[in-house]
Amino acid sequence: MPYDIVVLIKQIPDLELIKVNQETGEPITDGVPFKFENLSKNSVEAAVRIKEKNGGKITAVLFGNEKGTQVMKEAYAMGVDEGVLITGYSENNPVLTAKVLAQKIKQLHYDLVILGNQSADSMSGMVAGLVATELNLPLLSNAVSIEVADRIVKVSTATEKDVIKSEATMPAVISVTQETNEPRFPPVLQIIKAGKKNITTEQSTVKIENTSKIISKKAPKSERKRLIFEDVDKGAQEVAKVLKEAMK
Amino acid sequence: MKFLIFSDIEDSAKQVMSFLKGKGDFVLYTTEKGESLTKYGAQKIVLLTGKPEVKGISSLLSDEFSSGGYDLVMIASTVLGRDIASLFSGQKSIEVIPEIFEIKFNSGTVTTKRYGLGGKAVIEEESRSKVFTFLSGLSDDVPGDGSSPIETKNIPEGVVKILAIEQKKAKEVNLEKANIIIAVGRGLGKMEGIQQIEPLVKAVRGELAGSRPVCLDYHWLSEDRQVGYSGRTVKPKAYVALGISGQIQHIAGMRGSKVVVAVNKDKNAPIFQEADYGIVGDLYQIVPKIVSYL
Repeated sequence: MPYDIVVLIKQIPDLELIKVNQETGEPITDGVPFKFENLSKNSVEAAVRIKEKNGGKITAVLFGNEKGTQVMKEAYAMGVDEGVLITGYSENNPVLTAKVLAQKIKQLHYDLVILGNQSADSMSGMVAGLVATELNLPLLSNAVSIEVADRIVKVSTATEKDVIKSEATMPAVISVTQETNEPRFPPVLQIIKAGKKNITTEQSTVKIENTSKIISKKAPKSERKRLIFEDVDKGAQEVAKVLKEAMK
Repeated sequence: MKFLIFSDIEDSAKQVMSFLKGKGDFVLYTTEKGESLTKYGAQKIVLLTGKPEVKGISSLLSDEFSSGGYDLVMIASTVLGRDIASLFSGQKSIEVIPEIFEIKFNSGTVTTKRYGLGGKAVIEEESRSKVFTFLSGLSDDVPGDGSSPIETKNIPEGVVKILAIEQKKAKEVNLEKANIIIAVGRGLGKMEGIQQIEPLVKAVRGELAGSRPVCLDYHWLSEDRQVGYSGRTVKPKAYVALGISGQIQHIAGMRGSKVVVAVNKDKNAPIFQEADYGIVGDLYQIVPKIVSYL
């Protein structure tokens, strides 16, 4: 039985390339290139595996900015059939993100919505539940494994203590974790083909004011001693002392 | 001020209750049976029984919030906690300030701190939000001598059917409780290298851990040993990073360590910025040396 899947993907700034402005202490994000967020790759992989087994169509929706086309092409190369890029993303506003995504999803045909459980930049962990609420769909979250059959989707969720197995009838929202699968590296030919595929681009029209006001956004202060030894022997002696102290 | 707390893990429940003591009244909603939770001054403890379906729990909390005269909601940032918070937020149309590690209550507003940009920034913000998810480590665990009454409430069934709950295998690894953690990174070069690190782990009675590539990409260590934002968050007395370059993903998981030691070939590795003691050189030479001085 084929299933149509909407995958929600994200572009994030390449975090390792963010430098700090030494005068203001603020991280500099201007000019930092964007990349395909890791859990979004897990989400696409999960969708592609379901499609490979059962058939169906995968539509990726990316709420970001115009640079998101690169990420969308990568998603195409992994097996996504159609892509919608919605511009107008604003950081730190999961409620807005969820409303924009839900509005788009409602216009599409789907049996499953798949997204990452907690993206690597903002880490809010809120979007899956908010999207499920907006769409009034069951939420199967933090899946470490997914099985589908006869319009029933079963997932295993690893909490801090237990592994919970649960199921829901489609349509449903699934959030995935890094343990769900290992995303594929698409072959070169597919990447070339993906570059020529059309991407639908739209501008977000939803407006929600952020109710919180940012007072400061600075790089965390590290108050470490930074005693660096190039004399290996001396360093080893010092470290042994530190470790002995910690063993007490 | 009256707080509604939800936590499905004991440690976070104890920390947040210790933190809120003296700041207002609070009721703890939990799925944990622990008797020890009664010693933290909660007005009462509501033990949630039945299957831990997130929609069911969030609906229950949402009803309690409306009828119980609560001002603020504090939810532990756990796998279930984050989902419960997001469903609660959706149901009640209240914005959540997620993943906070610091909170101050002003008159009418709240000032919070959390990490942004994957840990590259600390976002300090002021809001009128009423719901927060908090990271573990919000406060020390300070039990008192009170004895909160316990009542039970059944979790209503939701649209998601829970088929089975299996306890995770008795964990061999308990990184969160380790005094000393010896963590290896890509600089280890090969899986067999671990054998040469083990004498140090044993000598300091520590636990072995790894960075994301070591655990997730190369599988030199199991996934439950991964320290980092997407893995475990640890706070040992001493954290020894061997051949770890210090990507922000990793730093976010070990920033709370009391003392950080780094060993790396590259003098300019970012890990040295986050270390108290650093040794520049080959870890295969340095590790036996450290052992010999212990």
